[in-house]
Amino acid sequence: MDHRPFEDWLLEDKPLNKEERFALQEHLRNCTSCTALSEVNLALRGARVASPAAGFADRFQVRLAAERKARRIRQGVGFTFLALGALGILLWVSWPLLAATAQSPSGVISDLLMYLSRLFLNLRAFGQALSVIWDVLPSFIPSYVWAIIFAAFSGLGLLWVASLRKFTRIPVTSQ
Amino acid sequence: MIDEQTWVSQAQAGSEEAFTQIVEHFQRPVYNLCYRMLGEPEAAEDASQEVFLRVYRNLWRYNPERPFGTWLMSIAAHYCIDRLRRKKMTLFSMDEEDAIELPDRNAPDPEHEAIRSEQRQRLHRLLQSLDPIDRAALTLRYWNDCSEAEIAETLSLTVSAVKSRLHRARRALGKTWQEQEHQNHAERIAYGSPAI
Repeated sequence: MDHRPFEDWLLEDKPLNKEERFALQEHLRNCTSCTALSEVNLALRGARVASPAAGFADRFQVRLAAERKARRIRQGVGFTFLALGALGILLWVSWPLLAATAQSPSGVISDLLMYLSRLFLNLRAFGQALSVIWDVLPSFIPSYVWAIIFAAFSGLGLLWVASLRKFTRIPVTSQ
Repeated sequence: MIDEQTWVSQAQAGSEEAFTQIVEHFQRPVYNLCYRMLGEPEAAEDASQEVFLRVYRNLWRYNPERPFGTWLMSIAAHYCIDRLRRKKMTLFSMDEEDAIELPDRNAPDPEHEAIRSEQRQRLHRLLQSLDPIDRAALTLRYWNDCSEAEIAETLSLTVSAVKSRLHRARRALGKTWQEQEHQNHAERIAYGSPAI
């Protein structure tokens, strides 16, 4: 059986004139397929909106409170494990130093002072090397390269600020 | 009268009261969508609560240039689709359905109302056989009175895809409806029911 244009009318929910309505009624008398579609349309139009049981918002508040409590507990447990882990690693790393300090405190202090003075001397030498490079380098690099470097760093800076704004907005969590 | 955008702005600023207003205002369409999608009142209640929790957690992401209702229904629809895909929920309880779709005894024509109620239950059962996205599109169109453009935005589809899905879903419903009619007719003949 040819369902055109009746099936299209039913599927499109097209407003029908008198002649079209009559033609559709005639077609529906002989076509079970379009009759089923028409009945589905009627059932869909007459469908009721289901409502939740009374007190939905109160039940939601209870669930929200439970979720907040669970999150606080999770955060507390996570922080405790992190702190214990950090303490364990610190103890493990510093154990030789602690053992040596317990055996000979003066030796450890003199080693520490020597290490600090070496570090200070190395840093000063590094700073002097950097200042020499800083004085010499501009004469080797043309000005347009400086412009490109400046533009690139500006772009990176803007990207950084934009990404910070996008990803680190603090969510609403009023407790 | 305070509109929903004001509640949303206040809720974004941390107002519990404003968020409760949002829950009160949208509980029915959200619950209805979840119920039509998942088929069971308990699952719909749980899903609706989860949807509002997700809305609460992600309220800071909401872009005020979009209609809030569409954004919220989008979260609800996608949550239900994911849940259906995860659990492949196909079971459906008639007892629970009866508890929701009882005929209105105060209706002027109780017999007609009983037939309508039966049709609604039948439609609800048939809905469960549809693809989750088609089901969501149909629910938004007929229960939530959404336009095709709103459905497209809610389900992240194009308007033509929504039209195509709505047509396909209604054709599928019509086909199953017709098959059930044939089956019922054959049963009535077999048992010699006076209904024929």
